[in-house]
Amino acid sequence: MCAEIAPPRNLRVVPFIWRRAHTSAVAGGEIGHAALDLQRGAIAVLDPDGNVTWADDAWAADDGESGLARVGIRGNLLQAYRAQDDPIARAVANAIVAIFEGRATYFEIEHRPSPESPRSILTSIAALRGNGAGAGAAVIHRVVTPRPQDVRTHSGEPIGDGMGRLTPREREVLEFMAAGLDNRAISARLRIQYSTVRGHVRAVIEKLGARSRLEAVARAYQRGLVVP
Amino acid sequence: MTQVPFARGDQQLDAPVHFALIHYGEEELRAGVLNFLEPALNDPRQGIYLCGPEGEASRFLDNLALSAGRDVRADVAERRIILGHGDRDADQQLQNLLDPLRELCDRGFSPVRVVGPAAWGVIGYAAPEDFLWYESRVLPGIEDLQAVAVMCTYDAARLPARAIVYGALETHTHTIIDGVLSASPSFMSADRYLKTRLIHLPWLEPGEERPVTETSEDHPGRVPRSRTR
Repeated sequence: MCAEIAPPRNLRVVPFIWRRAHTSAVAGGEIGHAALDLQRGAIAVLDPDGNVTWADDAWAADDGESGLARVGIRGNLLQAYRAQDDPIARAVANAIVAIFEGRATYFEIEHRPSPESPRSILTSIAALRGNGAGAGAAVIHRVVTPRPQDVRTHSGEPIGDGMGRLTPREREVLEFMAAGLDNRAISARLRIQYSTVRGHVRAVIEKLGARSRLEAVARAYQRGLVVP
Repeated sequence: MTQVPFARGDQQLDAPVHFALIHYGEEELRAGVLNFLEPALNDPRQGIYLCGPEGEASRFLDNLALSAGRDVRADVAERRIILGHGDRDADQQLQNLLDPLRELCDRGFSPVRVVGPAAWGVIGYAAPEDFLWYESRVLPGIEDLQAVAVMCTYDAARLPARAIVYGALETHTHTIIDGVLSASPSFMSADRYLKTRLIHLPWLEPGEERPVTETSEDHPGRVPRSRTR
């Protein structure tokens, strides 16, 4: 428990985004996907007492062993980072505090693996915890300010309603997405540029707080806003 | 409609077709893919498109060419054989597939044979639900390409059961299991699949946990389970 921190009660999930860089030509894709996947993935969670803890089962392997437990990260994350005499760890701790205080929604960590080190995110976590020695360095990339759909109640429901923020065109695109159309087909139906459709699809996914095209459709369907 | 024969046996498919090779481990994968691609490796009138993680398609092709005793570098240079890659955006991945297929068909190659591995929950690729959407859109995408046969490979030794059931069995008209080609009784049209499967995927239901993205490098000690029947 970190007594000096007063976490707002309307935050439940404290996401981390691990960025990989300089690994290969596809690093950009990896970064984007990992970001979307982890943004709502509860890699770290805020428990009812206000502790930030790693979700032990978040990276569970087939054999039931926890990936995070395997690299030895458990317990109060903030305390763990504050206990380290390392600028990276202090930066992580500061970012966590920023989340507690509502100044940030999540933060990104850029992983710069060395040629001889494994590219694993878990290894990166371990390296970060162990002041970065031996493996790739990791740095805070940016701290992201809150977005309404990222703020959740204790029951897990989003406070902001992303649907209300969709533009008429984005709603139109969402309806075509719900009908299963790909972007090229949507482009033909709406007689707009393919790249414009891509932008609309990205906006729909982001505004609905989804990680994927299908999750956005499923959410809209669950709210009765579209009929596939 | 174009008939697409395999190298061995009397099995063949009518294109356009989207089918799944369900295999156990690398050895069975190589044998199954070679059985499908060998006729095209040896026939300059046929086209090949291989996709997969960056660099993997190239390595895979080299192994296949070695097995078939052929040098395919000129075919790659002339784009009779095209090497592609996936994308984290499922729609982009679909276009990455369809654009070269149209190119090969337009240039008169027939049939055009495609092989790509199922990428389930892999960092750098689409989320599982979007991957399933992609799989369901392949057949509608190649409907007007009469000479295209798409083989998706599913490693049953590594992939979770829902990848096999929701992906291999329900989005492909045919499957090859243990070397036997058969129609998939679980196949659903893209429209039906969307309405009855995709929007009801268990992990997309409110409050359910989603599959975690991982890579094999996150589990360095993991090896494919031994084959037990």
